[in-house]
Amino acid sequence: MRSKYMAATGCLVAALAMGVAACGDEDEPTTGGGGGTEEPAAEGKNLTIYSSLPLQGASRVQTEALVNGAKLALEQAGGKAGNHTIKYESLDDSTAQAGSWTPEAESANALKAAQDEATAVYLGAFNSGASKVSIPILSEAGVPQISPANTYVGLTTNDPGSEPGEPDKYYPTGDRTYTRIVPKDTIQAAALVTLMKQDGCTKVAMTNDKEVYGAGLARVIELSAKEQGLELTSNDAIDKNASNYRSLAQKAKAAGADCFVYSGITANNAVQQFKDFAAALGADAGLYGPDGVAETGFVSEKDGGIPAALNKQVKVTVATLSPDQYPPEGQEFFTQFTEKYGVDNPDPYAIYGYEAMKLAIDAIERSGTGEKADIKKALFETKDRASVLGTYSIDENGDTTLTDYGAYGVENGELKFDQTIKAQAQG
Amino acid sequence: MEAASIPAGPPASQRIKQLIGTYGLTAVLLIMPVWFAITDLSDDGNLVRLGENLVAGLSNGAIWALVAIGYTLVYGIVELINFAHGEIFMIGSFISASLIGTLGLTVDSSFLPVFFGLVVALVVAMVGAGTLNVLIERVAYRPLRSAPKLAPLITAVGMSFILQNVGLLWKGGNQQGVPDLLDAQHTLVTIFGVTIENADVLSVAVTIPLLIVMTTFINRSRLGKAMRATAQDPEAARLMGINVDTTISMTFLIGGMLAGAAGLIYAVYQTTIWFFQGFTGGLIAFTAAVMGGIGNLRGAVLGGLIIGFIQQMSDNRIGSQWTPAIVFAYLVLIMVFKPSGLLGEQTRDAG
Repeated sequence: MRSKYMAATGCLVAALAMGVAACGDEDEPTTGGGGGTEEPAAEGKNLTIYSSLPLQGASRVQTEALVNGAKLALEQAGGKAGNHTIKYESLDDSTAQAGSWTPEAESANALKAAQDEATAVYLGAFNSGASKVSIPILSEAGVPQISPANTYVGLTTNDPGSEPGEPDKYYPTGDRTYTRIVPKDTIQAAALVTLMKQDGCTKVAMTNDKEVYGAGLARVIELSAKEQGLELTSNDAIDKNASNYRSLAQKAKAAGADCFVYSGITANNAVQQFKDFAAALGADAGLYGPDGVAETGFVSEKDGGIPAALNKQVKVTVATLSPDQYPPEGQEFFTQFTEKYGVDNPDPYAIYGYEAMKLAIDAIERSGTGEKADIKKALFETKDRASVLGTYSIDENGDTTLTDYGAYGVENGELKFDQTIKAQAQG
Repeated sequence: MEAASIPAGPPASQRIKQLIGTYGLTAVLLIMPVWFAITDLSDDGNLVRLGENLVAGLSNGAIWALVAIGYTLVYGIVELINFAHGEIFMIGSFISASLIGTLGLTVDSSFLPVFFGLVVALVVAMVGAGTLNVLIERVAYRPLRSAPKLAPLITAVGMSFILQNVGLLWKGGNQQGVPDLLDAQHTLVTIFGVTIENADVLSVAVTIPLLIVMTTFINRSRLGKAMRATAQDPEAARLMGINVDTTISMTFLIGGMLAGAAGLIYAVYQTTIWFFQGFTGGLIAFTAAVMGGIGNLRGAVLGGLIIGFIQQMSDNRIGSQWTPAIVFAYLVLIMVFKPSGLLGEQTRDAG
């Protein structure tokens, strides 16, 4: 009887151990393996790079591309950064229930990275609201962070569009640890306004999803529209759980709007808004969205996106260009990615996943020691880096110096590159 | 002694409250439309905008009314707030959308296949949702009929979450598009400048006949009378030879069928469905049932329509971020002055 209990207990312990091991999604490219912490091997340390992205919901296709891009970069580096052995662990900051990131999941991921002695760099988050949660945790632990997708102004600067107290309130120790490789919303807003003016919009109705990213971008679009002389008829914060937005769209029609722009993410009922505004404003109205909707879940009807009939009316901006607009290294990346993952038309975010990992590896290598403080220093000292995205630097705020935005149309339920917009933030 | 024999009327404060309850609430409910009518007349010189708000409110409200009836029917008869009812409505939408896909109906399909396809979808959604509601009653509520009231209430919340997760597994976490079979937002006719869209006609054309059939059924049919008798006094009804269990099951069946019908209309009307629609829609419909007077069929319809009007006017005039707050402010106001709801009846509990 006793031995039976012991056997059962043993099984339980083993199962728990396996369960714990299975909780993290530790992805392959790890030559060294072994999650050990500060165990300095003769040739360097065993370090971990975490990524925290919403792997479920409307952004799933984009974040899978980001993760695959990151894996490819690490694989090409042979799982090494200088003398250090790198393990990559992909974490999910979304839940199936929410269909997008949640503060609880993002903070749990940030805490995990903060508490792991072996953490070298944290890649993420995908959503600006999520970074608002993770930056203070990681900053306090001194973990360097690279976001491959955040654009909200207030995460790095107090430029127009940010809220009072930003960005200092995200860095409780005063220690800047956060960087990003996509241009901030000041640039994106200018690009969107430029695009709408180019397309002949005279009066634009705007909605925002009230999130950090959506509300922030809407504020910057308002400023940019004012500077560029484009009339905004409204900036309505929407209830994402509303069954429809017909009355809101009727209001826009009554105000004489001939275009519509949504500032937010797909998961916040973007598709219903585009349907309702398209019906109210007519088939000639231009419908615009930011990088928050530049994803399959929004553009593809079969994946729950906008109806095919709206394809020709919709344009979105995203800080990714057509492969032929990139330097030779970028074009080479698209070839390699296509070969490796067998996708004909890689998602625009794949290259950002790749570059975020490349930059992380480069910073670790330049740090020499593999210590977080040295990696962070190296990250902020990135100057004139020749990359797949083009040559850029990271400024003192952690922002990239890249400014080009791509305008995409929609064709057959897929994003199709239209043009590069060289918009500069004004004022 | 003498003083005690003088018949004392209700205190002044009570009388004022009753007056407000009778006339004040009507005035409060009319504040928004009257105010907007005045501003429209002064700004535009016509009432087109208000008319469009009311038409949109009527068609949206009709859907909430269908769902609200399910809450009110069940509460009226077993005094249980069936929190899973919103999810039954969601499952009705999912069944409809799946059937539309299975039948191969698309925006390019011609009129006859779409018409018959939608009729089939309506029947299947109603039967499916009704049957599910009956099963839930049999499995989760009936065994707890003599248990403390909190027990079936919590079971209902549990069933709500279970069905929500069924929806999540079935269609995923994102909103799913439904083919716009009726060209829902196509303007069918314009009356005095007010546009009426296909979706408005669909919503009203399905809801009104269903409501008439339902009220006639409950008022005139044998089963309807049994339902009313059970609602008034289950023990007395049992003594009079009414099979209370069957009557309760039939109530759940009818409520579920109406939710299934609402699910189909919602899917075709909005052309977007998702697993969470039952929670938000159910909350609105439950509010409608309480606002109108839970247990009262006409009250549920009135509550649904009032919420539909408030939502549309608020979205259009004030801002959609304020809409939930305004709807619930109205609810609070109504409850404070008329706790039994606008057309509320005394229930067994209330005495």
